[in-house]
Amino acid sequence: MSLRGRHNSAGTLVEAASFLVVRLGVNYFALPATGVRGVLTQEETGHEEAVTAAGTVYQPVDLAQRLSVVAKLCGPERRTVLYSTGHSQGAIGVEQVVGLIDIERKDCLPLPSQFQKDERDWFGGMLLHQDQLVLILNLSWVLGELSGGASVPVRLAEQLVEATSASVGGAC
Amino acid sequence: MLRAARGQHQALRAKRLWNVVVFSVGGVKLAARTEDVEGVSSWAETIPVPSRTPFVQAMLKRDNHVMPVYDLAARLNRVVQGEPLLCLVARHLDGPMAICIDAAMPSLQAVNPASIRPNSSGDIESLGLVTIGAQDVAIVALQRLGR
Repeated sequence: MSLRGRHNSAGTLVEAASFLVVRLGVNYFALPATGVRGVLTQEETGHEEAVTAAGTVYQPVDLAQRLSVVAKLCGPERRTVLYSTGHSQGAIGVEQVVGLIDIERKDCLPLPSQFQKDERDWFGGMLLHQDQLVLILNLSWVLGELSGGASVPVRLAEQLVEATSASVGGAC
Repeated sequence: MLRAARGQHQALRAKRLWNVVVFSVGGVKLAARTEDVEGVSSWAETIPVPSRTPFVQAMLKRDNHVMPVYDLAARLNRVVQGEPLLCLVARHLDGPMAICIDAAMPSLQAVNPASIRPNSSGDIESLGLVTIGAQDVAIVALQRLGR
């Protein structure tokens, strides 16, 4: 995620987080913008399984399948997002790229504690953008850096959020 | 003095009564303690959220707030009835949680705790069973629903 200081209208320094918002089916997801290495059209990606860009190989990631989301990845707005966490890379197919957004960290909300299972690994939090609920993806999970069965227990996750919030503020 | 004592006795009795909201889900009559209910309003379209938590697979947006939705009807293997459906906001221990209930307007009842019997069915988190209008009604423990 990109974090940078920004001055609001009152001249106060506020911490902002930058995300690329994408759509898959009826859901909107936010990818921390610092890891985005490129956005390709269907023509640019071709029919190859993996995408090579600037000497790096991006293996395809079927995010819709991993999240059990119904998505139509054949429309004209379909894009492939090349993403790198520094440790892992992936080419993530999405139905639509909505755009880049900058939001104040205080506007990042934790996933409600009632969500108790694997989704706590999938999402780092959520935010509201243009009246839409946007789920913040945990790219370490998306790119397979987390083992599938190792969900963070809710209470531990809450403690981590509290500890993180106390030190840096916000849920993202 | 006698009148004052009787007044105190009545006040104590009233204090001991449980106030419950009686509502229905798929035609099943249920109750919840009023202090566990934040409010009842009209139901709104929900936003599905990828989730593996049983019965927690959506969120409800109201103004600038979102809250998780607990699908109590699915839990009870029922389908909510009537139009327009209503939204009961539960004061869950983890925060407010929306529950879709039947269109039938909920009512308020005062229940004597001494009349509450244990609910042995175990199909839902409950504080016990109470008879309301010749019908056994489970008092749902909204605070710990799904925990």
